[in-house]
Amino acid sequence: MITSSASSFAIVLLLAQTAFAGEVNGTLSSRLDFYPDHADGTASEGRSAELKIDAFRDFDESRIVGEFIFRGDKKDSGRRIIEARQAYFRSPFAGFDVFFGNRQEFWGKAESKNVVDVINQSDAAANDGKSGKLGAPSISAERYLDIGDLQLWYIYSFREKTFNDSDAHPSSGVPVSSAEYARKDDKDADDFAARLSSFAGDWDLAGSIFYGTARDPILSVSSDGNALNPYYALQKSIGFEAQYTGNVTLLKWESLHGTQSSLIGAHDFVAAVAGIEYTYYGPFKTTWDIGLIGEIQHDDRPQAAANQFGVAGVRLVFNDIADSNILFLTSVDRKTDQSFVYLEASRRINDFTSVKLTSQFYNARTATSAFGQLSDDDAFNVKLNMFF
Amino acid sequence: MKLAIATMFVAIASAVMTTAAFASPEKGREIAIEADGRDKGFGDSTAQITMILMDKYGQSTERAIRNRTFEGDKEGDKSLVIFDSPGDVRGTAFLSHTKKADSDDQWLYLPALKRVKRIASSNKAGPFMGSEFSYEDIASQEVEKYTYNYLRDEKLNGLDCFVVEYDPVDPKSGYKRQIVWMDKAEYRVHKIDFYDRKDALLKTLTYEDYNQYLDKFWRSNRLVMINHQTGKKTELMFADWKLQTGMTERDFEKSALKRTR
Repeated sequence: MITSSASSFAIVLLLAQTAFAGEVNGTLSSRLDFYPDHADGTASEGRSAELKIDAFRDFDESRIVGEFIFRGDKKDSGRRIIEARQAYFRSPFAGFDVFFGNRQEFWGKAESKNVVDVINQSDAAANDGKSGKLGAPSISAERYLDIGDLQLWYIYSFREKTFNDSDAHPSSGVPVSSAEYARKDDKDADDFAARLSSFAGDWDLAGSIFYGTARDPILSVSSDGNALNPYYALQKSIGFEAQYTGNVTLLKWESLHGTQSSLIGAHDFVAAVAGIEYTYYGPFKTTWDIGLIGEIQHDDRPQAAANQFGVAGVRLVFNDIADSNILFLTSVDRKTDQSFVYLEASRRINDFTSVKLTSQFYNARTATSAFGQLSDDDAFNVKLNMFF
Repeated sequence: MKLAIATMFVAIASAVMTTAAFASPEKGREIAIEADGRDKGFGDSTAQITMILMDKYGQSTERAIRNRTFEGDKEGDKSLVIFDSPGDVRGTAFLSHTKKADSDDQWLYLPALKRVKRIASSNKAGPFMGSEFSYEDIASQEVEKYTYNYLRDEKLNGLDCFVVEYDPVDPKSGYKRQIVWMDKAEYRVHKIDFYDRKDALLKTLTYEDYNQYLDKFWRSNRLVMINHQTGKKTELMFADWKLQTGMTERDFEKSALKRTR
């Protein structure tokens, strides 16, 4: 679905103006998913294909940018999408760069979870990591100041999180019903955000504020037990980010402090990630890099899978012609005895093709825990990307 | 036999004394400062680069890169490297703020995530894009990053050259020393032999096809790096050199990484 479809259509028309300098590129991805532990009545495999077209055109000092996603899935209607992830017009105005239209933005420093990354809604059904985002329909402005980079955001339409079908994966097995909102204007309620980011010596720092609809819904089971009801709360929050970049050690901090107003009243919350990343360069007389990642996640919002996760990981970068690399991450919640294991390996096949293998395993002692409900969602995926 | 040994001893002694007589750290540093001074005032530059990676069997693969450099004043140069191909790294950009004494500041832009990521700069010896060039080879060369020793004069490709040893100050450098051939007329580098930390010859870099811009600044159109230990080779073919294009320091701030395309 394209929100603000009229403006997105206008962007497409402007991108088609061949009289101006620009570029068009595309990526065609084909993906196979295998679910070895699938429950009866759920999919044992998945097949999907995605076409991404990204393009820009320059008009004097202004630019039109488009990034469009067309994804089809053989069975899972939740993964099917036509999306203007980016469709904006950028122009300088009063010392600012001003952007009109759908944009994708990233805020954060940590590796396993980015609690301050509040601008975009997650295209969770894509199950494609941090790049699976929905464009934020917005007017935004950026300015480079002596003290750092300032961003101002007005997001005029809310995007709901995408969910897989109940017989697809990952899924709790119960269909997701239509959403309810804490704010009376529902999807039309406006969001506001601002961020100042800077660096000094070995430190990169940022502070941000957000007033708007929480990106993650609170999910509750309906009274008859046949549906999951998503409820989007009102969120007022401030975010902090810091990274220390040493010779071989990175220290990272991200925290979000605020209030969430929902049916059960207003509640203060804190969500934070603290982490360390240590890299061995060229071990065993090779040209490899081995990165060791350790992070602690805390999140006391009801949307979180657990209050605390300990995360450990290894990133192996081969620094070869094919850009081969492997990432292993495991998240453990010791309190409710649940864990998640993620493994990813990717390499280039030739100048136009790359392949990525991923696998995800959920383990839980109790069926009612967050990962307990995903116990049949262990997955192996292979994704082939072709670039043109 | 005695005579032969005595002759050999005299020959060795005289060679050692000749080297000792002419080797000069002061002269080496003066040459490096003069070479640096002759390139002062270029302001900024841009170039299109084709990187050709060849394995020891002669099989090759290509990368397309754009390079932008901004001349530093108090600190070192700032440089931006943008990848146009292969497709999976298209739009990825690497920003480096070179420091004369401290470690460089470096950021990477990942286009799929729209994420600007600060990265540790101690990976100097690591390969750049899987090539035979390391990060320190492509970094801006600052006078303060080496100590010097002028070794001798020597002809190379018909040109009178200084031969100077460059010893990296930073212990994280992958090299114990570099031997640099620089022509006496224009102070252009023509060849560098890189010695690894065990002082074994690791790589040789040659600079070819120099052109002069704005009647002052020399830029090479072809750099060839041969790794003697692996047999691999990387060529950098430069095209469309432009100097003093009018870019500003703001074009090299980390926020500029998001709009390199």
